[in-house]
This record gives sequence, structure tokens and C-alpha cells, in this order.
Amino acid sequence: MPLPDSTFCAQQIHIPPELPDILKQFTKAAIRTQPADVLQWSAGYFSALSRGDPLPVKDRLETPLATQKTDTGLTQGLLKVLHKQCSHKEYVELADLEQKWKNLCLPVEKFRALLQLDPCENKIEWIKFLALGCSMLGGSLNTAMKHLCEILTVDPEGGPARIPYETFSYVYRYLSRLDSDIPEADTESYLATLKENV
Amino acid sequence: MRRHWGGPCRCVPPRVLRGAKQHRGLHRRQAGNAGKAAERGGSPLPGREGWRCRETPGEPSPGPGTYQSWEPRRQRERPEAGSPGRRRGREEKQPRTPLMSGARGPGRMAPTPTPGSYSPKWGRGPPPCPAKPSTKATIPTSREGELQTSRRICKGGAGGRSQEPEVPWRAGPPLKPARRNCLEATPLGGTRGCWATGTGVAVWLCAAGTQLSVAPTSCPGNLPSRPLPFLPPLLGSRSPCPWHHVRLSRSHDTLAPTCFKAKLHRKRGSLTTDGASALTRRTSPAMGTYTYTYTSRPRALPCQRRRYRDNLMEPTEEPVSYGNIMYDRRVIRGNTYALQTGLLPGQPDPLEIQRQQQARRRALARKRAQEQLRPRTPEPVEGRKHMDVQTELYLEEIADRIIEVDMECQTDAFLDRPPTPLFIPAKTGKDVATQILEGELFDFDLEVTPMLEVLVGKTIEQALLEVMEEEELANLRAGQRAYEELRNAELAEVQRLEEQERRHREEKERRKKQQWEVVHKHNETAEKIAAWAFAQRYLADLLPSVFDSLRDGGYFYDPVERDIEIGFLPWLMNEVDKTMEYSMVGRTVLDMLIREVVERRLMMYERKEDEHPSREPEDGLGGPGAMRDLLVGPEFQEQNASQSQRPPPDRDFLQRTPYDGRYLEKVSSQERNLMEEGDDEQTEMRKSLGKEEL
Repeated sequence: MPLPDSTFCAQQIHIPPELPDILKQFTKAAIRTQPADVLQWSAGYFSALSRGDPLPVKDRLETPLATQKTDTGLTQGLLKVLHKQCSHKEYVELADLEQKWKNLCLPVEKFRALLQLDPCENKIEWIKFLALGCSMLGGSLNTAMKHLCEILTVDPEGGPARIPYETFSYVYRYLSRLDSDIPEADTESYLATLKENV
Repeated sequence: MRRHWGGPCRCVPPRVLRGAKQHRGLHRRQAGNAGKAAERGGSPLPGREGWRCRETPGEPSPGPGTYQSWEPRRQRERPEAGSPGRRRGREEKQPRTPLMSGARGPGRMAPTPTPGSYSPKWGRGPPPCPAKPSTKATIPTSREGELQTSRRICKGGAGGRSQEPEVPWRAGPPLKPARRNCLEATPLGGTRGCWATGTGVAVWLCAAGTQLSVAPTSCPGNLPSRPLPFLPPLLGSRSPCPWHHVRLSRSHDTLAPTCFKAKLHRKRGSLTTDGASALTRRTSPAMGTYTYTYTSRPRALPCQRRRYRDNLMEPTEEPVSYGNIMYDRRVIRGNTYALQTGLLPGQPDPLEIQRQQQARRRALARKRAQEQLRPRTPEPVEGRKHMDVQTELYLEEIADRIIEVDMECQTDAFLDRPPTPLFIPAKTGKDVATQILEGELFDFDLEVTPMLEVLVGKTIEQALLEVMEEEELANLRAGQRAYEELRNAELAEVQRLEEQERRHREEKERRKKQQWEVVHKHNETAEKIAAWAFAQRYLADLLPSVFDSLRDGGYFYDPVERDIEIGFLPWLMNEVDKTMEYSMVGRTVLDMLIREVVERRLMMYERKEDEHPSREPEDGLGGPGAMRDLLVGPEFQEQNASQSQRPPPDRDFLQRTPYDGRYLEKVSSQERNLMEEGDDEQTEMRKSLGKEEL
């Protein structure tokens, strides 16, 4: 090659072979996740990718898209993403969680508001945070539990969404304790009846 | 073969005359032959038709059959024809092929119109006109005429040269010999034509005719011009020519034209068969002695290639198509005078060449005919084929075998064709150089844009597609799972319902069974009650009667009474008997005592009487009382005897089965009697007892 370092035409431009794949995956993830702030989300995506962590990508495209303007912006899909990212540890660092929250383009105020329901230091039990998030998704305890079940279940989507009774009762007790309207006895009786069915 | 059309017309009258004379003799012969042929059972062709055949020698049948018929006749002909033929040396030169021999024969007999060959076939042939004796005379003449015309035509065909010499021949001398020959030869020609094959005869006649005509001219060149012998096989047809409806009534004059016509036919061949009749209409006015009649209806000469008027003008009864003579290649068109007939000194005689050709063709045809006639091996069976086998007696080594040597030759392997070098057009224009610095030509941002566009666009498109696809699949799966969930729930529900239904059914069955049992029991009870009632009613009448009968039969009795009757009474009677016996014994003893006493007393009294003669009898003791005892005693004894004689029947009676009614009655009556008797006895006993006690 007489002139190795000079390029004369477009054919000489070299494209790294892994780039198209990465690009494609990234595009797909972006399309699927539909982040409000693509840049921030991309930062989180690529950092997770480089670290080998679970990627902040929704499994499914969610039809109610980008409703951050009217409500918390938190959706079941996003919670699922968070669960995917954090469920490997029982307790999660708040800072880490906040970072992840931010990477999903969720408002930090909501994060704070969520934490105020069950204030804690530094660390929070992930299941509790998830329960709080679920309670934030839907108004009633029932819908919250439903979301939680759908997130926690290992059954395929559309299936019966079963979760272990212990987890359910734990979360249910936790949430009902937070809700002052529900008496303790009702909770216990409900759980007892549920246990009979199980 | 070419004929000159102009010629014949001119020549007609004189020839006809001669022909007519000759034919008279000929005709005589023919008549005889005709009779013979008829006797032999030959086909009774009407003479006229037969004649027609003869007249139309121009239509030989091309089939091999004609050859056959030809050959034997030819052989016969030869010897006969030889003598007259020899007279004219010129004719000897004529075709020597066997086929031509037929022609040669008549040729030799030039003066005679027909060759005088008595071939067997000839003889067999039916008379030319058995049906019409009157026309017979004309028929031979017509034939003669034909011969003559043929001769004439020949002359014409031969060329102008021949015409001159012909005249003298016609005019005078040959007449005589012709007639003479006629006598001999006519039978041949006449019957021949009719019978064996029209063609054969025709050919033969033609040949004769031609050579006849040639002979006087003594022009060697003319003769071969007509390949007559060939024609017959080519044109021959065994059927009599239907278009010759010539009725010849004795006129020699008319014969000529018909003959002429016949000739024409022959020359033209089978194609132009019908056209001739028109031509033949010409009558020669010169001959006044014969009347000419012509039977064919007037009709247009149809063209072979019809353009229009297809069936309007054409008579329907003659289906054969006419040919236009103008297309006949044997007819020369144009001026005949301009035709060069003579031989140029340097050139070979065209006639000679023609003759040779004829000879060759004839030989060929004969060979072919022989080949066809030769018996052949039958066709091989299917799946096999004939092989040549040597059938010689002695095997012979094939010595002339060519020595073979194997040689090899190897060509070089084909080399791949080198690729076609790139076509580089020759350089045109002027070379110009310029300096380009680094970075001047390539702007990365600019150059990379399309690539990036493609990259990003494609990536996004692909990603979108994949996402959509995956979403769709995931949706489908989710839907499927949801459906399965629903279905499972429904299945569970269905099971639950089924179970419930089953339980309900069982319960129903159970209750039904229960109810059924109740109903069954109820029915049973009702039936029982009904049966009871019925039985009661039924037995209500039965019981009294049974009881009556039983009571009548003595089955029901008072046990006390019976015991008294059976046990007490007999005992009582026995006791009574005993008692009475005791009393009787006592009485008897008493009587005896009394008697003894009495006797003693009596004795004592007597002694006393003796001592006391009057003593009184003692009445007080045994008087009336004793008497009474004595009287009662026998009665009582009788009663006891009767009682002892009769055993008590009651016991026996009881022991017997009381089923017999009569017996029962009897028994009962006995019993009754017995009881009555018993009563009587009792009363009697009581009386007696009372008496005794008294």
C-alpha cells in the first residue's frame, strides 16, 4: 500500500464489526423502553452494559407511554426493570437505587416521596421498596398486590402470576401496616383465609 | 411421346378405307372366337365393351398383372409374327426387349393390322361382342381402324419425313396382305382386348399399329419415337373404358375416328380417359358406305382443374374426370414444321437414344416385375428378423479378408480456454496531470454521511422491525397464556360442575330408587290385600260346604259323646253282660237247688205218701217266680249273644280313611244303625235290667 494512512474514498472507512450489533441492540432497547431522556438513559444503559449489570431495558413495550407529565411516571415495566437490576441483593443502597431511578428518567422527587413512606437509613430492603413502588402504581392495596405479583412472579407473562405465599403475606402485612385504615385483624384474617386456599 | 395433331386429320380417309376392308375378315374371325369364349365361361362382357377395351390400348394397367398377361402371349406371338415381320428388315431393328416383342410381332406383320398370335389367353377371351351380333362386323373393323390410325399417328409423330412414303403404302399394295393377315390376326386382337387385360391388348395393338405405320415409311428414326410397350403397364386399366360409347354399324368410315380416339386415349393415359369421346366425334365424310352412330351424350369437356360450375354441367353418370389434352406432355404443341425431325450428322440420333432409354426402362420394369413375381420368404414373425445364411453345399474359406491392425491415436487434452482479456479501449484524448494534496480529495464527514445514514437508518429500521416482531410474538404468547389460564379455570369450573352434576344425579338416582321402593311396597301391600279379600270372598262359599261335607262325612264329632260311644258303652255292655251272667248263673243254681229240693221234697212226699198217700205239692217256693225267670232267661241270652256276635264297629271305622263318600255314608248309616241298635239294646237292656231288678 503506497498510502496506508490516507483515505481517498468511502470504501476505505472501516466500521468495527461489533458496532452494528451494539447499535442495533441499543436501538431496540431504546425503542422498547421509550425513555423520556434518551441521553440519561443511554448513559445508564451503556454503564450497565460495560459493567455487565442487568440492562435498564423493559422486557415489553408498554403501551401507556411516557406519562411522566401527569403522574409519577413510574410504570410496572419500569419497576420490573428496577427489580431486575436490584433483586439480586436483599438490601440496596439508596444512592445506587437513586442512580438507577435517575437512569430510568424518573423524577427524583418521586423517589424521595416514595422513601418518605417508609423512611430508612442508607439502605432499604428491596422488597419493601418494590412494594412501595407498587402501591404508588395503583390506588388500592389490591391493585398494588396485583402489580407486585406480576413483577415478582416467575411464571411467563400472561400466566397465572403466582408468587410464594410467604412473600405475599410479608408484603401484604407491610403494606397494610403502612395503611392505617386497615386494621390488623382484617389483614390477618384475610391472610388466614388465603392460606387455607393455598 | 409426342404426336402431331395435325397429321392424323389429313391422313384419315384413305387409311380408314383400307382398315375397313381388312376388318371385315377380322370380324369374321372374332365372331367365332367370341362364341368359343362364351362357351368357356369367360366373363360375358358385352361385345361392345370388350371392343372398347381393345380400342383403348392407351390405358394399360400399371400393375404387375399386366406384365404377367403379357409374357406368355408374347412368346406365342413371336413365331407367328415372325414371318410377316421379316419382310421389313427395318422393323427388326425395333426394340428387342421382351416387352417390345409384342410390339415387334405386329410390326413384322406390318401389312396386317393385328399380329397373328394365337395365344391361349387369346383363345380364352370372350367374344368381343357376344350380345350384339349385328355390330360384330363393325367391331373388328373399328379395331382395324384403330390400328390404322395408330399407324398414321405414328407417322405423324415420327415426323414430316414419314408422311411422304406413307401414302403409297396406304394407297395400294399393302391392302392385300393386310387383309390376309387380318384373318389370322384379328381373333387375337379382338378378343384379347376384351378379355385377359384390356391393357395388354391395348399395348399390343398399339405396338402393332405403330410398327405397321412405320413399316411403309421405312424410316428407322420414326419408329422408336413411340415407346408403346411402356405405355400399357403405365396406363393400363382392366376396366373397359367407359367413355367409348361408339356404336359402329358396319361403316368402315366411322371406324377410323373411333380408332383415332382410342389412340388418343392410350397416349394420354388413364388420366385423360374421358376427354377422348369429344374428339372421336369426327366422322369421316369420305366413307359413304358405313353409317356412323355415336352413343355418348354431348357434354362439355370438363377441365381437370375445376374452377366453378362444379356439377352443373357435368353428367352425373360419368364420374371419371376428363383431362385436358393440352397438358398432356406427349402432345407436341406448337408448329410441327418448325420441329427438327432429322438427325444432325454429328449428333447421336435422338430416336436412337430414346429407344435405348426405352429398352433400359423396359428391362428395369421387367426386372421389377420379376422381382415382384418371385415368391418370397414370408415375413418374419414379430420379434424376429431374417438373416442371411449361407446355403452353399461346400463351405469356403473367405480368403480375401482384409488384415486389420489396431492403431491408436490420442489427441491432446483440451486446454481450458484462457479468459478473454479485458477489453481496454484505445486511449483517446490527452493526458493531463495535477497535484492533489493529502486530505483534499477525501472529507471524512462528508464521505461517512451516506454510510452513517445507511448504518443508522438500517439499524433503526431493523431494530424497529425486530422490536415489533418480538412484541408481536410476546403478545401472542401472552395471549396464549392468558387463554390457557382462562381455559384452565374453565376446565376446573367444568370439572366442578361435572362433579356437582354427578352428585346431583346420584342423589336423584338414590331418591328415585327410594321412592320406587316405597311405591313397590305399596303396590305389593295393595295386591296382598286384594288377594286376601278375594280369597276371603272366594272361600266364604267354600268353607260351609266343606264343613258340611266333612260334617256329613263324620269328621267332626263331640269327643265326649264319642268317648261314651266307643269307650263307655261297650264297657257298660260287658259289665251288664257279666252281671246278667252272674244273675243267670245264680238263677240257674237256684233253679237247680230248687229243683233238687223239690225233687227231694217230692221224693220225700212220695215216700211219705207212701207213708202218707196224700201229701200236698209245695207251690210257694218255685212256682210262678221260677217260671218267670225261665221265661226271661232265653231272651236275655239272645241279646247277649247278638251283642257278642257283633264286634264294635266304631273302632274299625275310625281306622279307615274316610274318603270314600259312599263308604262314609255306609259307615255312617251303619253307625247310625248301630247307634240305634245300641239305643234299642240299651233300652232293652234297661228294660231287662229293670225287669230283672223288678
